Amino acid sequence: MDHSEAVQQKATEKYLLNELDPTLRDQFEEHLFDCVECALDVRAAALFVEHTKGVLAESHAPSPAPAAVPATAKPGMLAWLRPAFALPLLATLLAVISYQNLVTYPLLKQAAATPQIAPWASIHVSTRGASTIQVSPHAGQGFHLLVNIPPENSFASYTLSLSSPSGKVQWTRTTEAIATDDTRSIFVPSAGLEQGTYTLSVRGTAAAGETTDLGRYSIEVQVQN
Amino acid sequence: MQFQTFDESYVERLRSGDFRTQEHFVSYFSELIQLKLRSRLRSPQAMEDVRQETFARVFVALRKEGSLRNPERLGSFVNSICNNVLLESYRSSSRSSSLEEEEEKDLPAAAVDVLGAVMAKEREEKVREILEELPERDRRLLREVFLEEREKDDVCRDFGVDREYLRVLVYRAKQSFKTLYLRSIATGSTGVPTVEKL
Repeated sequence: MDHSEAVQQKATEKYLLNELDPTLRDQFEEHLFDCVECALDVRAAALFVEHTKGVLAESHAPSPAPAAVPATAKPGMLAWLRPAFALPLLATLLAVISYQNLVTYPLLKQAAATPQIAPWASIHVSTRGASTIQVSPHAGQGFHLLVNIPPENSFASYTLSLSSPSGKVQWTRTTEAIATDDTRSIFVPSAGLEQGTYTLSVRGTAAAGETTDLGRYSIEVQVQN
Repeated sequence: MQFQTFDESYVERLRSGDFRTQEHFVSYFSELIQLKLRSRLRSPQAMEDVRQETFARVFVALRKEGSLRNPERLGSFVNSICNNVLLESYRSSSRSSSLEEEEEKDLPAAAVDVLGAVMAKEREEKVREILEELPERDRRLLREVFLEEREKDDVCRDFGVDREYLRVLVYRAKQSFKTLYLRSIATGSTGVPTVEKL
């Protein structure tokens, strides 16, 4: 690849977006290491992307709530220790702690000890994506996802990510590859579960660190009331 | 970082161990090597190992007479050696570890002069300005691609655009940013040691 080809093909942008196939990528790199102009272009673009991540992450973070401005004159640093404030505060704390210990925790323990029957769906990871699978949990109920990954490739681990119907990644989990066990059971909790098509993406990671996309699988969730 | 045309005298200084030339050489190619490796290796440690091994082999090779017939192709020479080190890295069996268990180590940052820090802040402000001038949709598009690292095909489909749109968006933003970047190169204030005269 020569310089004019690199410019014409927008090789810099394709390189940074990982859009060049391995052959073109190697050709571009061969050129890049010798071409000062392209090296500068790639470095500027990479720096732009790096700063963009920082700026977008800042703007995405919720801003801290503004500090409340007291309406009256400053009572002093230890004013909250006065009985008028401290007693109701302590009573509230006591009520919260009591409720947690007498009601919330026993209920949680009971729920943890009670067998749960939940719907399930299974996905067989293959080189090509399968058709959409369906699962119909009740409102407030999660579902089991059985992911079968044939141990055909020498991956050291697998990374599974679940994205919501709006495209937001809900969670990402990594699991070690075990030759004798090719099925993973994942319980998808009901919290935040919405009606729509979720997407499970599966990637394999080799021992040397290379990752391979093993597919994206659509799961249609129909929440029943 | 001063950009240089690599020629016989540069290679000769590198070969003879001239400190400034070596410093420039390592600084210049480190970033290119890291850009090359980030799409091939996930582990920062593995990337650092390959980078260091590449430089070590380049210096050893340069000391051998006739190893680099064409000094103007010094960059290709470095790239080839890096490719060989990378291949060996793939072949060698490294200890497997879950991505979650592996701690991300930040590579030690080079010492940054005060002016470099100011320029870095200026660049960040410039990027902020560029992003603010973009329509909200384009900002969200860039966020999904670069910050949330979603699959680009999915992002483009969700936004109703094609991959060329994304490329052009990145290209235009980069061009706006490049003006400031070129200025920081010229003043030598990128936080990387510069060589005034080679």
